[in-house]
Amino acid sequence: MASEEESAVKEPLDLIRLSLDERIYVKLRSDRELRGKLHAYDQHLNMILGDVEEVITTVEIDDETYEEILRSTKRTIPFLFVRGDGVILVSPPLRTA
Amino acid sequence: MSGGGEKGSMTTKTPADFLKSIKGRPVVVKLNSGVDYRGILACLDGYMNIAMEQTEEYVNGQLKNKYGDAFIRGNNVLYISTSKRTLADGA
Amino acid sequence: MGLSFYIYERSKLGGVIGGGLQLFFSYFKDLVGREVTVELKNDLAIRGTLHSVDQYLNIKLENTRVVDQDKYPHMLSVRNCFIRGSVVRYVQLPPEAVDIELLHDATRREARGG
Repeated sequence: MASEEESAVKEPLDLIRLSLDERIYVKLRSDRELRGKLHAYDQHLNMILGDVEEVITTVEIDDETYEEILRSTKRTIPFLFVRGDGVILVSPPLRTA
Repeated sequence: MSGGGEKGSMTTKTPADFLKSIKGRPVVVKLNSGVDYRGILACLDGYMNIAMEQTEEYVNGQLKNKYGDAFIRGNNVLYISTSKRTLADGA
Repeated sequence: MGLSFYIYERSKLGGVIGGGLQLFFSYFKDLVGREVTVELKNDLAIRGTLHSVDQYLNIKLENTRVVDQDKYPHMLSVRNCFIRGSVVRYVQLPPEAVDIELLHDATRREARGG
């Protein structure tokens, strides 16, 4: 129950546990993406991230050609609590296995 | 987790048995948003949270991203399907 | 009654308080009296003093002001508000109120119990 924890991935949340204090990528609803250092999380995927970069992707339609133009808006936030229900995907940094 | 026991994947009985039997296999995970994730299913839990390896993200059939490891929050999952893998790994 | 207390309770009970895990509830209790910015899922961002929080992470803010007042002029006269937890997207935290070591410790304990 307790001893051989740390390394193995037996359940999906282990992937998050192993990313504590690492920079992770988070894909959220409404076309938002975050990159930041994971300082805390719970089983709902509520999180506290540090040194966060948020990218919001919006689609605009060109008036003349009707082409879709993707525009990304960036901002940085020192510390951010993220509510878990908006999370779609979390990707840890690449680990050397 | 209750269920069948040592049945092969051909005689899978319950959804839980199916999910157990596809660990380590190449899968396609479709989300409610329509986005597809293709990769190797590492594990999953009762909320259908999913851990995948060598994950590729497809939006409208186009490859948009790759992730070494990916955690997908279960509430977004529409279905999980086994797949014949395109790249990397034959099976 | 905040995060340190949470860690204390956890260690005392060996991390087997069934069900009600409440790392972030404890964390936000520590934050009472601080200035935070709450960003809602409808993109409205409200800055104010955290007055209180409950187990659902519902939040009461005082001395509020809407960050983008030009876009939301009808919010000008709102001085305090109750925010349902489920409509929150983010809370921007004051850096001086983030104890990283404490958060790591509490998170490891929470993970063990979950």
